[in-house]
Amino acid sequence: MEKAPAAPHPDYDLLRPIENPGKSFYYIVAVLLVIILYTGYVYIRQVYYGLGVTGMAQPVTWGFYIINFVFFIGISHAGTLISAILRLSKAEWRRPITRMAEVITAIVLAIGGLHPILDLGRPDRMTHLFYNGRLQSPLLWDIVSITAYFTASTVYLYIPMIPDIAILRDRGVKPRWLYEFLSWGWQGTEQQHKVLDRAMNILMVVVIPIAVSVHTIISYIFAMTVQPGWHSTIFGPYFVVGAIFSGIAAILVLMIVFRKIFHLERYLKLIHFNYLSVLLLVMSLLWFYFTFSEYLTGYYGHEPNEMRVFWYKFSGAFAPYFWTMVTCNFLLPLILLSNRKTRTIPGILIASISVIIGMWLERLIIVVPSLANPRLSYPTGIYIPSHTEWMLFLGGVSVFILGYMMFARFFPVISVWEIQEGRQESAKTVTERITSYMPDPEPPLAKG
Amino acid sequence: MMNNKLIDRLQILSISLIWLLFTGIAVWILNLIKESLRLHDAPDASLGISLVAIPVFFTLSSVLTYVFIGLRKGRKKDVES
Repeated sequence: MEKAPAAPHPDYDLLRPIENPGKSFYYIVAVLLVIILYTGYVYIRQVYYGLGVTGMAQPVTWGFYIINFVFFIGISHAGTLISAILRLSKAEWRRPITRMAEVITAIVLAIGGLHPILDLGRPDRMTHLFYNGRLQSPLLWDIVSITAYFTASTVYLYIPMIPDIAILRDRGVKPRWLYEFLSWGWQGTEQQHKVLDRAMNILMVVVIPIAVSVHTIISYIFAMTVQPGWHSTIFGPYFVVGAIFSGIAAILVLMIVFRKIFHLERYLKLIHFNYLSVLLLVMSLLWFYFTFSEYLTGYYGHEPNEMRVFWYKFSGAFAPYFWTMVTCNFLLPLILLSNRKTRTIPGILIASISVIIGMWLERLIIVVPSLANPRLSYPTGIYIPSHTEWMLFLGGVSVFILGYMMFARFFPVISVWEIQEGRQESAKTVTERITSYMPDPEPPLAKG
Repeated sequence: MMNNKLIDRLQILSISLIWLLFTGIAVWILNLIKESLRLHDAPDASLGISLVAIPVFFTLSSVLTYVFIGLRKGRKKDVES
């Protein structure tokens, strides 16, 4: 194990996971690696035997893999989008939060983006896309937009990390070559700060439309088909709202976990949780509004095929999942977060976990019932996920946890230089900003 | 420990690889447009998507290159000299 190599840092709490990760880190990594290796075996088995080892069959030909694809990409909106909005709106309380959120995006996008490949019985056929892809297919729009979002998010995560990487380099943290390589010669000069600020300003503006486009385009996979329950004009914004909603819940869970494990109470204060949980509550109300509008218009049209899917969700085989979704995404967050007494750390944790479960159920409810009730004269389909699908889901979650832990092992999850900058400059900047909002004092009345 | 020259070269290589990757993506998209034109398979949609996608990738690589060059130029010894 590496020793703390340099003099105590004023924000050593943020560097401790890197300089002294502790034994438990290695135990957890070992457990996760075992799960991931077993998942790899299960996937190879699927490639060998084909998709027959999954629960997917006619007419339900999309199952866990597409559900998890939409779910993971949704969670990815936690980071870059929310971070960019907070930076752009100059919300000073963002400083300890942004990087945690941006890391979620980079890792989860990589996992989610690979899920459509899991859904292929012949993954080698992905190579056909290079020669015979059809750009007018929403599936290909997805590939392009996810690639753009992934690269933009990674760049957006990396650039504000450069000064922190330089801190680690200067403290002699190992592997030194890695920090030397990634710090790009950062010395903290005024000119370097200007370059970094300018680049971040450009990225903030570029990243927001890319993030919105990603989930809109994912919704198009469904909405562009003339399928009951999918063919909806509000699916784009509905998916974006759902993505931001689940993303905020994911950030809150991670913030609570990191705060507890690494004793970051000095950095992640109750006010941060309070602000984010109010945002979660607002998103819960917005989600309910979109869900209500989506189902009301379908019900009012009373088109027979649409109604078959509708009742399948409301009172049929999927009713338990549907009403659990409503409870998890709306009722529970509303009860817990609208009351100041329950808007505590445990209350926020319960509400956030509930939203994550609820949003996963929402993806399930969107994907399966429309396929299970085809317009052709097929019997109603049944979908029961197999051990392979459950295992690949667990594997995806394990890769996420491992990825996040590895990131936290090598880089600070809270931006050290932004915290220092905030301490030195925020008060002055905020005062100047508030002064600029306020009306000018009334000129003194002329005497006489 | 790696020497500074090697790290410098690796950094330049990484930026070059990013340009190579994004140029590769642009070439791939252009190839798909060519195919859609050849097959008369909705080329307008392909053109529309590429008009948005290609500039995004080149904006990202340009920002990275700007930061890379800007940080090098902004180093103390370069500023002082």
